[in-house]
Amino acid sequence: MSKRKPYIRKLETNWWLKTGFYTRYMLREGSCIFITLYSLILTWGIFNLSQGESSFNMWLDTLQNPFFIILHLIVLIFALYHSITWFALAPKAIALWVKGTRIEDSVIIATHYAAFAIVTVLCLLIITL
Amino acid sequence: MNKKTIVIDILRYRPEMDEKPFTQSFEVPYIEDTSILEALQYIKDHLDSTISFRWSCRMAICGSCGLMIDNIPKLGCKAFLRDYYPNKISLEPLANFPIERDLVVVMDDFMQKLESVKPYLIPGDNACMSSGEYQQTPLQMEKYKQFSMCINCGLCYAACPQYGLDNNFIGPAALALLARYDRDSRDAGSAQRMKILNQEEGVWGCTFVGYCSTVCPKKVDPAAAIQLLKVESSKDYLIGLFKPD
Amino acid sequence: MKTITMDVAIIGAGGAGLRAALEIAQQHPNLKIALISKVYPMRSHTVAAEGGAAAVTQETDSLEHHFDDTVSGGDWLCEQDVVQYFVENARKELIQLEHWGCPWSRKEDGSVNVRAFGGMKIERTWFAADKSGFHLLHTLFQTSLKYPNIKRFDEHFCLDLIIENETVQGVLLLDIAEGEIKLIQAKSVIMATGGAGRVYRYNTNGGIVTGDGMAIAYRHGVALRDMEFIQYHPTGLPGSGILMTEGCRGEGGILMNKNGYRYLQDYGLGPEVPLGQTKNKYMELGPRDKLSQSFWQEQKKGNVFKGKRGDYIHLDLRHLGEALINERLPFIRELAKAYVGVDPVHEPIPVRPTVHYTMGGIATNNKTATSLSGLFAVGECASVGLHGANRLGSNSLSELVVFGKLAGQEAALYAQEKKHIDIKILEQKAQKIVQRTEDFLHSNGSEKMVDIRQEMGDTMEEGVGIYRTKPSMQKTIDKLHELKKRYKNIKIEDKSSVFNTEFLYAIELGHLLDMALAMAYSAINREESRGSHQRIDGFEKRDDKNYLKHSLAYYQGDDAPEIKYGKVTITRSQPAQRAYGAAGDKKIKEDIK
Repeated sequence: MSKRKPYIRKLETNWWLKTGFYTRYMLREGSCIFITLYSLILTWGIFNLSQGESSFNMWLDTLQNPFFIILHLIVLIFALYHSITWFALAPKAIALWVKGTRIEDSVIIATHYAAFAIVTVLCLLIITL
Repeated sequence: MNKKTIVIDILRYRPEMDEKPFTQSFEVPYIEDTSILEALQYIKDHLDSTISFRWSCRMAICGSCGLMIDNIPKLGCKAFLRDYYPNKISLEPLANFPIERDLVVVMDDFMQKLESVKPYLIPGDNACMSSGEYQQTPLQMEKYKQFSMCINCGLCYAACPQYGLDNNFIGPAALALLARYDRDSRDAGSAQRMKILNQEEGVWGCTFVGYCSTVCPKKVDPAAAIQLLKVESSKDYLIGLFKPD
Repeated sequence: MKTITMDVAIIGAGGAGLRAALEIAQQHPNLKIALISKVYPMRSHTVAAEGGAAAVTQETDSLEHHFDDTVSGGDWLCEQDVVQYFVENARKELIQLEHWGCPWSRKEDGSVNVRAFGGMKIERTWFAADKSGFHLLHTLFQTSLKYPNIKRFDEHFCLDLIIENETVQGVLLLDIAEGEIKLIQAKSVIMATGGAGRVYRYNTNGGIVTGDGMAIAYRHGVALRDMEFIQYHPTGLPGSGILMTEGCRGEGGILMNKNGYRYLQDYGLGPEVPLGQTKNKYMELGPRDKLSQSFWQEQKKGNVFKGKRGDYIHLDLRHLGEALINERLPFIRELAKAYVGVDPVHEPIPVRPTVHYTMGGIATNNKTATSLSGLFAVGECASVGLHGANRLGSNSLSELVVFGKLAGQEAALYAQEKKHIDIKILEQKAQKIVQRTEDFLHSNGSEKMVDIRQEMGDTMEEGVGIYRTKPSMQKTIDKLHELKKRYKNIKIEDKSSVFNTEFLYAIELGHLLDMALAMAYSAINREESRGSHQRIDGFEKRDDKNYLKHSLAYYQGDDAPEIKYGKVTITRSQPAQRAYGAAGDKKIKEDIK
């Protein structure tokens, strides 16, 4: 008769608070909540735009509210956090070989930042022009 | 003589005596280049001979002595007292595995995962022993070499919360091994292995936590292997949309 | 007790055991194979081999060269028909490994690269960076997963062979996790359990290298051959004994004493080869026995460093440069950094000779069969006669696959011709062993295991080390007998069933003690110096008249083993002077004349 009695440890619900690595990962994953929230706000704005100018201005006014300003700041921080951590991981999913050597991780990361900067500038240009 | 010592807390579990694990403290002499494994051997030789743990090579290649040191998965033979002194050290069996006894975990599921990914060369039609070895340039080898360095120690499974939450997930080491053969220029088995990695328990069970690669003692980078396989899996899906067979 | 019926049982799942299993699985899909290991196969000590595997590869090389290097390297104690078979089959087997996926290091054009190794006339060592054994083992293990007729018994400890009618009928296993005994009925059994280097205090071996298979066969009356020949690897880390591959020197690494002097030139291996060059069979590329002996001489002269982990010399790789070290010796760099805090790119590595390999083992014929019907042996646990008195580096990995395959073939043929006997007879036999095992577990001794183990290791280093004398060996023998007596009264505190490692260590220690005695008695009886067996008590010369023969140790219970001698098969190479360096070249010229 077997005397084995393997003991199974259940992963506790707060497992992601146990190490910094897991916490940072959960924050990265959690950032999607704020980014979703922001896309809803934008959708709300587009809806208002379709309702005419006064409606759109009212939406803009609402956004001047300190609550919304703080919310935007939080969303911005999470979006930046997500981008930075995601860019740091990007080389793992990209294995590019040029003339027998693998492109350095730092090059791939730098390319991401460059693309990020270019897109940001373009967006700013579109908005301000 | 005032000899320095260090305290080691070990999570113990003796299935024939204990209902659940408990912590036992040991005080061992502190010498800076003593490894955690050597400290465990000291404990077994001199303090409590009933404590069980796996070990063999002492040089970080056999993969036996993985355990949680201060809650981080490491090889006992490649972590040293000097990195913790004068603090207390906590040792536990590898997380996410059932405890067999003391620091020994049940590896059955891990072994089955390794077996499930067809981890062998599946030759194409042109395979022939008499013509000598296959040609493979250093560059072709470079594409899979890193993923062939896995010593099957299981640290990455202890680091993977996805595996901890649902052990149907094939997991980092086995998927890295799958990538190792998939990316080998001598192999023609990608189509067979695609079915394995396309599953929910395959690469898509991974949410890219990335801790597996951080704890890997051999720099295998299973997280990278899985992301590269996700690219392959996506390509396979897209091609499948246009070319149903 | 569970009983399981198989055709062939293989004990040990390292390189040799796996290769044997693969051969049977491929050629005889109808045969059921039990592949038994006290650990998981990929933990087997094959994993720690670093340098590579030898096979004639280059056009400038020839089978004759490999043959001559091996036979002279073994100081003419090799079975020459076996060496011939080996050199003829080595390349084929390494290509087979390549076809199974082994990532051998390549040249730019995609063909397999070779590196220089000690005692080899021409570069013929296939390597996978400096993890050749690791890749070989994992390739074999992973390939074995393809074959459903290989039934693995991982973490099963072999307690004994079951013998009836003077024929092996099966094996008795302890399932380590279950704590349960299993009887495997098998028509033939292959021992592939590895060496016994753990009898020494300082060695390159893993904790599992405890001579289990050797001891089990020995206790059943099978001879252990050439057990006095223990290889000290010249470059282990002081203290831990962790291996710094011969590949370091193959790539151009040099050895220096504390005065920065390349002392090997004083020991018949010179003249000095300029830094950054290598010359086969010169200086650092001499054979292991000579290099380890030179260290001992330097130690006597006071030319070695003294450190807290013991005496050492320097292995200098700095001139190789970071790029080459990273490409060819990355593991060495990792190990040196972790275990002695030295980065070989910037500093020399402290090294000293440590026990590495048992040349001898279970005596087999040239087809791996032992004197016990149905029992085959292969790999380090066996003495098929390839290595003689000193093994050349990189011959052992090739041995695993060449003779692993042969053992598989032979054991399968044997099994096909035999029928299983009535299981009841085996169960009765097994029951006795179970009783014996349980009695041992529940004995109430008082001797501390660690004391016996350490005293054994120390006395072996002192008496049966690099250089030997009759009084020192006798002292060791006396000590070993004392330890064996104390062992009978050993304390086993843990009486539990599940993963009881203390109990396993106790059984292993019993195996080690028997191996130590076999080694010491074989050594004291050989009154000459040959290969790794060097005496400094009036027997400094090789004595072909009296000792060109294999020693055979037979177990006699608690008494001294009986030492007999067997003849050496010589086909085409008559014993001659072993010469390296310039003396070696001079000898070749004279031979041609």
